[in-house]
Amino acid sequence: MAPPPVVTGISPKEGPPGTRITIRGEFLGSSLQDLIGLTICGCDCILLAEWKSPNKIIARSGACKGRGDIIVTTRSGGQGTSTVQFRGYHETIGPLKESAVWVEEAPIQSYVWGRRALSPTNQQDDLLGISVEENEGKKFPEDELFELFGDASSDLTSEKFHPGMFLLQNHHATSFDDLKAGLSHLQRKVNSQKEGQLSFLKANVGTVMEQLDTLTLLKEQYESDIAKYGKKPLEKLEGSIKKSMGDANQLFNEVLARRERADATRNALAVMQRYKFLFCMPVNIEKNMKNGNYDLIINDYARVKNLFKNTDVDVFKKVLREVDYRIETLRDVLKKKLEEVPFTLEDQKKIIRHLINLETDGDPAWDAIASHANYLKKSIEACTNEYLGTENKEDGGKEVYIKTDTSTPLSVRQFKLTKTEENNAPSKVLCIEALCDIVMEQLPDLWRLGQCYFTGQLHVTVDTEKQEPFKNLVLSNIRLAVNSMKATCDASLTAPWLLHNLKCIRHLYAALIHLDLPSDALDIFGKFIFDLRSQCLVGILKQTEDNVMLLARKETWEIEYLDKNEGVTKLPSQFEQMVVESAKLARETAVERGPRETALFDEPAQRLLFHEAIKKLFRAFTCCLRELAFSGSDDAIDDEITTVSHLTGSPSPYRIRDSKLHGPTAEECLLISLSNIHYTLKVILPQLTENLKAQEYPDLTTAIGFNTDWTQLESLDKAVLEAYLERRSDPLIGTIEPSMYVGDLDWDSDLPARCVKPYTQEIVANVITVHAEVCRISPRLLKRVLSHIVENIAEEVSRVFSCVKSFSHEGVVQGRTDILFLRKALESFSSHRAKCFFDEALNSIPKITRKDDIEKIDILLTKVYSRMRLQLSCLKDSVDSRIDVENLNMTRLTIV
Amino acid sequence: MSKKPGMAQALHKVIMVGSGGVGKSALTLQFMYDEFVVDYEPTKADSYRKKVVLDGEEVQIDILDTAGQEDYAAIRDNYFRSGEGFLCVFSITEDDSFQATQEFREQILRVKNDENIPFLLVGNKSDLQDKRQVSLAEAQSRAQQWGVPYVETSAKTRENVDKVFFDLMREIRSRKIEDKSASNGRSKDRAKRKKRKCTIL
Repeated sequence: MAPPPVVTGISPKEGPPGTRITIRGEFLGSSLQDLIGLTICGCDCILLAEWKSPNKIIARSGACKGRGDIIVTTRSGGQGTSTVQFRGYHETIGPLKESAVWVEEAPIQSYVWGRRALSPTNQQDDLLGISVEENEGKKFPEDELFELFGDASSDLTSEKFHPGMFLLQNHHATSFDDLKAGLSHLQRKVNSQKEGQLSFLKANVGTVMEQLDTLTLLKEQYESDIAKYGKKPLEKLEGSIKKSMGDANQLFNEVLARRERADATRNALAVMQRYKFLFCMPVNIEKNMKNGNYDLIINDYARVKNLFKNTDVDVFKKVLREVDYRIETLRDVLKKKLEEVPFTLEDQKKIIRHLINLETDGDPAWDAIASHANYLKKSIEACTNEYLGTENKEDGGKEVYIKTDTSTPLSVRQFKLTKTEENNAPSKVLCIEALCDIVMEQLPDLWRLGQCYFTGQLHVTVDTEKQEPFKNLVLSNIRLAVNSMKATCDASLTAPWLLHNLKCIRHLYAALIHLDLPSDALDIFGKFIFDLRSQCLVGILKQTEDNVMLLARKETWEIEYLDKNEGVTKLPSQFEQMVVESAKLARETAVERGPRETALFDEPAQRLLFHEAIKKLFRAFTCCLRELAFSGSDDAIDDEITTVSHLTGSPSPYRIRDSKLHGPTAEECLLISLSNIHYTLKVILPQLTENLKAQEYPDLTTAIGFNTDWTQLESLDKAVLEAYLERRSDPLIGTIEPSMYVGDLDWDSDLPARCVKPYTQEIVANVITVHAEVCRISPRLLKRVLSHIVENIAEEVSRVFSCVKSFSHEGVVQGRTDILFLRKALESFSSHRAKCFFDEALNSIPKITRKDDIEKIDILLTKVYSRMRLQLSCLKDSVDSRIDVENLNMTRLTIV
Repeated sequence: MSKKPGMAQALHKVIMVGSGGVGKSALTLQFMYDEFVVDYEPTKADSYRKKVVLDGEEVQIDILDTAGQEDYAAIRDNYFRSGEGFLCVFSITEDDSFQATQEFREQILRVKNDENIPFLLVGNKSDLQDKRQVSLAEAQSRAQQWGVPYVETSAKTRENVDKVFFDLMREIRSRKIEDKSASNGRSKDRAKRKKRKCTIL
């Protein structure tokens, strides 16, 4: 247990409630927690106590009055004692006292001074001049005092003052000696007060005398003054004072006026300085307008509006009017700017924001959208006019260009416009490019602006009813652009340019798709692109068709043998290649689906269109072939007639024509064409069909009328065959009768038949010629061609024999031998009809009656067969021709 | 609770006087609690009391530390009246404070009405010799003129701190004994005492 705390020092030792007191001593607690109690003059002050060290506590006094101990209580030392005392007093605030609150001075002043005079508290403490220290803390019980003196008071100033009570209260512990000393002290004091007046005079005789002298002097002076200035000097004085005041005022009036003016000026300047911002506003606005610092203007304007909106000052109002006027101009400028020049989206937004900040009437954002849309429309129109207006002038040049262009083969290379080519591009293409550029530049901005408007990013009240007009604006613009493009993409453009356009527009379309445009807007483009694609497809095929038409010029008549039986030129495969190439090109460009594009051939109309185009291609090829087939006719006719008949005309050597140098004869042309046609029909057409199918084109076989001479090749085939037959068989047939009778043949003569007649040999020779010709080109055609010819021959022979009027015996044998020989020789190419004709011919000859005649005919025939074995073997079926050739060599030896 | 008046322990009432900032409180606190206060905080009126052993006798010393500032000059009279001995402090680094001791001396004499009141002239801040403004001789001559001892102290180094308080207490004690032995004819005795003191010094 620590010793109890002892307070030995206090600073200050007195003060009003709330005084900060530093308490010092010993054992005042070992820590903050150890300090558990503090009373000053009986007031608990622990709440405001601040433990500093075991020797020091800082506290604040409570609402206590009078002297009292300071008792510190600690946990470790218990309740302590105090050697010093604190005196609390209630302070009244006087005129010389600093105070935190306002004090009404006048009434309190008198009260305070009066009270001071009444209560000399300090004197009371020490009335007897002896220390009262010993009595403190040992107060006489008040109850006893009350018993002894009743309602008397120990207060010196009180009317009920009782000396006994006073002594008991203040000095009941004082020793008698001390009391006596106090009495003498009091007596001394009283005596000194009683003697006061006289002793004062005595002590101050000199001063009193001096005062008297002064008074006398004063009186003398006063009297002399009266004598000097009269009884009423004051009036005079007043007059002169007033006069001097007037003079002074006059003197100062001028100065004052000047000062006033200076003050006014200074005030005005101060105002100017203070509201410099406002006064400089108009100039600043103009300056910033010139520099384009609209933000600054708006900020300034908002500030001015804030500060001076409700001002009553005329000057401010005037300046405000000026400012408003400037702002109005600014608004107009901004509005015009918004309408006139195409800006980037950001710039537009900025201007709109400025306008909104400037509290412009109406709906600037909507105006901006409208004007933007309008601008877009105008630029589309202007663009169309510009290019299509100049088109007429360039028409001539363009036509030439296109013509030179048509012959060039399609190639992807051409679709890329290089800078140099740009000049050559038709104005329509340039127009489309420009239109695309315009739409690509403007439409996204317009759309985004609209989006911003409706999502409220422009900080304007969104008028949702304008959604529809906005959509219409966009749609109408798109429609306009598409229509303009449509107008330019007419049939006069060639496929390469169409494809170029398609590329441009697709690019644009892709860009627009990214914009999230409404689907009906995109559909406008989609539809257009669809049309354009089909147009491209048709264009490409059309160009191919043109090129096919020109194929005829390229025919070299060089025959290639695909196999032993088939000889064709390069033409069909060239044709196939062209078709495949263009189909591939179309597939890569027009048919291919871009984003948001439908398959081209989903629509029946498109399929029909495609079929039609392909059909046209084939027809063009047909035309081409026809042209070629009949190309050789004119120049060869003269020669051919002579070569047919050796018996009637002067024999001329069979001309071996070098087809490489002179081109084929008409018959060769026909034959080659025939072969080509056949090849095209049987090989190329199915191949193409398969190829196109593989490229996902619509199946050709589903085309209307595919099986009924779709390509017209079949009819051509017939025509060509007929032409050939005509050219070959007509002269052949024609020579039969003349040749028969050339040696004055009379079927009625009796010349014995020794051999077949020469005309039969001629017929066989002619047939062999044809056979050779056909075989050289395309053995496959042999049967077809020769059967016709043989048929005709048979018919003619039958006709000739039916015309014979009478046969001699020998004539019958001769005729029969001839016919039988012919029938045998031409047997392999005889159709049923031919055989009938031969039978008919035989029937027109009278029957053989004698047996030896039959033998004779047989002998004759065997003789002829063996002699003409070589010729006959030519006309055998190709199957056994090889054997014949072997035999041929042997017979040739025998002949020689 | 012994109520024997005056017998239990002698109580010596010491009053510190002097201009503001000369170190009255510093001296007091150094004496009381052996601590040196660096911060200056003007005093209003502080009271300290503790037991000390004076020449083998246990006595109580009551120190009244007064305000040096002129603001409180008016209430000094009341304090001085209860004092039995005075330590009149000035700062040797400040001539004004030395000059002011004259006023304090006069006021004390006027209040106590006693030429021989126990009184010590104390020149504080003796550690700040380099800033000295009041010479030792000057101070000593004044003390001699008043018939009081002069001591130079340093509250910082505690030099002579105990000495001045104990010297003063001894004077007070001897003065009290003297008063008791001759309870009457005070004024005559005082004159005589004064004479004797002068001879001692």
